[in-house]
Amino acid sequence: MMIAAGTTKGLPVRKPWLTRLADASEPYLYSAPSLILIVAVMLVPLVIGISYAFRDIQLLNPFSGGFIGIEHFRALSQDAAFYGALKNTLWWTGASVLLQFFFGLILALLLDKPFWGRGLVQALVFLPWAVPSFLAGLNWAWLFNPVIGPIPHWLFGLGVMSQPGNILSDPQYAMWGPIVANVWWGIPFFAITLLAALQAIPRDLYEAASIDGANWFQRFCSITLPFLAPTIAITVLLRTVWISNFADLIVVMTGGGPADRTQIVASYIFTQAFKALDFGYASAIALVLLVLLLAYSMFIILLRQTLLNKD
Amino acid sequence: MASIEIEKLEKSYGHVSVLHGIDLDIRDGEFVVLVGPSGCGKSTLLRMIAGLEDVSRGEIRIAGNRVNDLHPKDRDIAMVFQSYALYPHMNVAGNMSYSLRLRKATKEKIGAAVAGAAAKLGLEPLLERRPKALSGGQRQRVAMGRAIVRQPKAFLFDEPLSNLDARLREQMRAEIKKMHADLKATSIYVTHDQIEAMTLADRIVAMHGGVVQQVGSPLELYDRPANLFVAGFIGSPGMNFLDVTYRGGALRLKDGSRVADSPPVAVQEGSDLTLGIRPEHLTITTDSGGISAEVELVEPTGFGIIVHLTLHGMPVKVFTLDRQALATGGEIKVSFPVQHIHLFNNEGSRIG
Ligand SMILES: Nc1ncnc2c1ncn2[C@@H]1O[C@H](COP(=O)(O)OP(=O)(O)OP(=O)(O)O)[C@@H](O)[C@H]1O
Ligand SMILES: [Mg+2]
Repeated sequence: MMIAAGTTKGLPVRKPWLTRLADASEPYLYSAPSLILIVAVMLVPLVIGISYAFRDIQLLNPFSGGFIGIEHFRALSQDAAFYGALKNTLWWTGASVLLQFFFGLILALLLDKPFWGRGLVQALVFLPWAVPSFLAGLNWAWLFNPVIGPIPHWLFGLGVMSQPGNILSDPQYAMWGPIVANVWWGIPFFAITLLAALQAIPRDLYEAASIDGANWFQRFCSITLPFLAPTIAITVLLRTVWISNFADLIVVMTGGGPADRTQIVASYIFTQAFKALDFGYASAIALVLLVLLLAYSMFIILLRQTLLNKD
Repeated sequence: MASIEIEKLEKSYGHVSVLHGIDLDIRDGEFVVLVGPSGCGKSTLLRMIAGLEDVSRGEIRIAGNRVNDLHPKDRDIAMVFQSYALYPHMNVAGNMSYSLRLRKATKEKIGAAVAGAAAKLGLEPLLERRPKALSGGQRQRVAMGRAIVRQPKAFLFDEPLSNLDARLREQMRAEIKKMHADLKATSIYVTHDQIEAMTLADRIVAMHGGVVQQVGSPLELYDRPANLFVAGFIGSPGMNFLDVTYRGGALRLKDGSRVADSPPVAVQEGSDLTLGIRPEHLTITTDSGGISAEVELVEPTGFGIIVHLTLHGMPVKVFTLDRQALATGGEIKVSFPVQHIHLFNNEGSRIG
């Protein structure tokens, strides 16, 4: 373009090299400030964080900091606690997302029907979302505590428990404590997004279907679900990534205990970094989690592409 | 196929009363058109018959059975929506076969029904397409196809053609008429297009403000409108109305000038009446019996000419096929043929 502008009578006239350099670098110079900012804010911490995974960084050891290659990963591959945490992460994420989605969908379907006082109920339903996760964790920890909370006594009364004990200290069932708190806390997210999607469905489709002879369940399957599918896919993907990274409730409620039974990878990273003060090892675990989540996201995106292409 | 009886039907939303005691008997195989201005409750009535709205009071019977509390799916009727309401996630064949699939019809039966309907509506090349890949007219056909595949007791149409352009509407109108002659299915058709109402209906039900004003064949409504509302609503350009007084066997304007002889009706000397006459029945004359009027505006429609007049201060329209009317201007004379005069009393009811 610049060359063409510099031709006279069809003969290319070469500009001085300094002008050409200035012309060529012009667009880069214009975008440089924002690019530099983005790199500084996003990439630098990421690179430094990743570099920790290959260095020996212990907060209390002044002689640490050296490059140790893949030593952390070798240790990680033999770390039974890590494998336990990986299994717990699957369990924690799967159960939380599934239950949140299930209850969120039911709630959205209920709120989609007009009834007296719906506005107030909608506002109340979305309240848990506004509670800080730290507070929610404390609250549920107390609710599960037989000394001050009612839940163990209710469960005992119902005959579910043989005595009103603290579920959070029961190695068998401890994971259910944070999962219940997480479900309570996360339902509004699904309810809000699914309700928005539900309300975008034209009403006359339901009317046409009921005239065609569809009962409630058939209408749900042939109209509601296809309309919700894209929203469901994207919210479940987001929540899965998010919940598997979400250690607040576990750290507050159980601290990963008893005996690491509720330790998920994210809380294990937290424990390694801030309890054991081994930043290097924590970074190595975080890197593994990052790779796993990236792989999961890629898988979901590919799945979506194939499903869309099939249509 | 079935008859539909509607008895003292009322509908209110909270305190707002929308339908006030509708009575209507629709015979088996009849094509009934509901007309009326926007907001008069046509859709509400149709949706109550379909079961999409609750009945506040009164009764609806389909084939003699009370259906007030029956769910739409148990009424065995089909409805074509103004918005078409096609299922966007199913292709054309899926849309048309949905009701049959729900009824667990056999594959062969479904295939035959869909093929039959598609052939009738010219949809064969489109069966695999999704609704979003269809034009408005094609969607309309699919909506019709969806209604006819399962041979319901009755068809309900809520302004099915109002989203189409004029040419297509004409064509679909003819197709609906042909289809009805073919299937002989009881049909209720809502429209505010007069031509649709006149051309399609066995009987027209004219509604206004939630009340049935008149029920009758298209020509009955045209020739003998029961009241001022029907007289003004049916026909285009609309009927002319003049306030007149009956005096000495003739109809006179307020200023005393004589408009026409009165048709033979029993009214008291000096009573105030409304005279109605259709623009196409007014004649432009030169003889002395005519009453003079100012030409305001001349509108050629191609088929004929509408001449807007001021007659003793009142607006009057004349519709004529005579091209010479184009050249009219200034003062002309019109006459009111007595056999075409409609008379309405103070309450607006027809008296002759
Ligand atoms: N859900 C509702 N709540 C309150 N009033 C309603 C409701 N639905 C309809 N109406 C009122 O009922 C009246 C009749 O409505 P309807 O839709 O039957 O009119 P329509 O004759 O079909 O008009 P159009 O020709 O414009 O479609 C209107 O005045 C409308 O405002
Ligand atoms: Mg309507």
